[in-house]
Amino acid sequence: MRFARTLLLAAAFVSVAGLARAAGPEIGAAAPDFTLQTIDGKTLSLAEAAKTHKAVVVMFIATKCPYSNAYNDRMRDMAAAYGGKGVLFVGINSNKTEPLAEVIAHAKEHGHTFPIAKDPDNKVADLYGAGHTPEVYVVTPDGKLRYHGRIDENYEDASKVASPDLKNALDDLLANRTVARAETKAFGCTIKRV
Amino acid sequence: MRRVARAAALLLAASVLGAAEPSSPSGPSRLSGELDAAGLAARVAQEKGRVVLVNFWATWCEPCREEFPSLSRLAAAYRAKGLTVLGVSTDLASQLPGVEKFLAAQNPPFPNYRKKSEGDDQDFIDAVDRAWGGDLPFTVLYGRDGRKAKALAGQQSYAQFEKEVQSLLR
Repeated sequence: MRFARTLLLAAAFVSVAGLARAAGPEIGAAAPDFTLQTIDGKTLSLAEAAKTHKAVVVMFIATKCPYSNAYNDRMRDMAAAYGGKGVLFVGINSNKTEPLAEVIAHAKEHGHTFPIAKDPDNKVADLYGAGHTPEVYVVTPDGKLRYHGRIDENYEDASKVASPDLKNALDDLLANRTVARAETKAFGCTIKRV
Repeated sequence: MRRVARAAALLLAASVLGAAEPSSPSGPSRLSGELDAAGLAARVAQEKGRVVLVNFWATWCEPCREEFPSLSRLAAAYRAKGLTVLGVSTDLASQLPGVEKFLAAQNPPFPNYRKKSEGDDQDFIDAVDRAWGGDLPFTVLYGRDGRKAKALAGQQSYAQFEKEVQSLLR
């Protein structure tokens, strides 16, 4: 079984040439720890945050990507709604083309009061194998990755979302259920790496 | 054999809509139609015997816009040698005016389609390549036998495209 999975992974790797980044953690595996400086000067440690919250949502975001920007309000609203339930939302900007000042202005403009950090040299994006924005990872207090993928399937119209995948994942976790759909995909803007 | 060909033609007709509606009164659409995953597979199958390069792009994707001229150059340089280039825009219907404007400015010597808006994008992404995470641009190369030969994630240079195409044309 393990051999079959290794073969599958190898096939997936071989099939995508030009993919410079390594694959990220699998669902159920340990989420790579990281420590970053947030835009308000605080230190954010994933391991520490995970221990003190029911879940941490790590979101790779951007200031200029239309796909990421389409979710600005949803990020703000979900961070507020789930913050009251013990879930911490964290924004990470790994784009080399989007400087700190721009990230700060963007957060202010969109009412993003959850912790946001620049990811110098896209090291955290590399650890997770994050490819685009927005792309989210959910980590539980045991440090394990429980969800990876999109916020939902409809970036164009929040009122017509049919598959609220991140919300469903968080609801499953808060109810002590296994996440029913732990991996999803959507189009997004490629993270501009160094 | 003829029945298979007819079925493929019917499938293609069902999956590829006619030319998209003009986005402006200035002229017809530069898009060749809309495709879902089955339609794309049928379109690629139509080119059996040739190497096919399918590039997925979007107007909002900066690296896609940057690599697009390389695709035009590649299509022109290798068409007679057996290469077919197909472009697939993943822009939404609301972004059609921008798509038309982009294609008018680029004037690519290869057909471009728009991914059908209906359905979950994940189904389309997985049908194209299960290893694809949805990042754009994304390019898939098919050999003369119609089988997927390689997928290229992210922005490619002309030299990178050329190397892959030359290797399949041999």
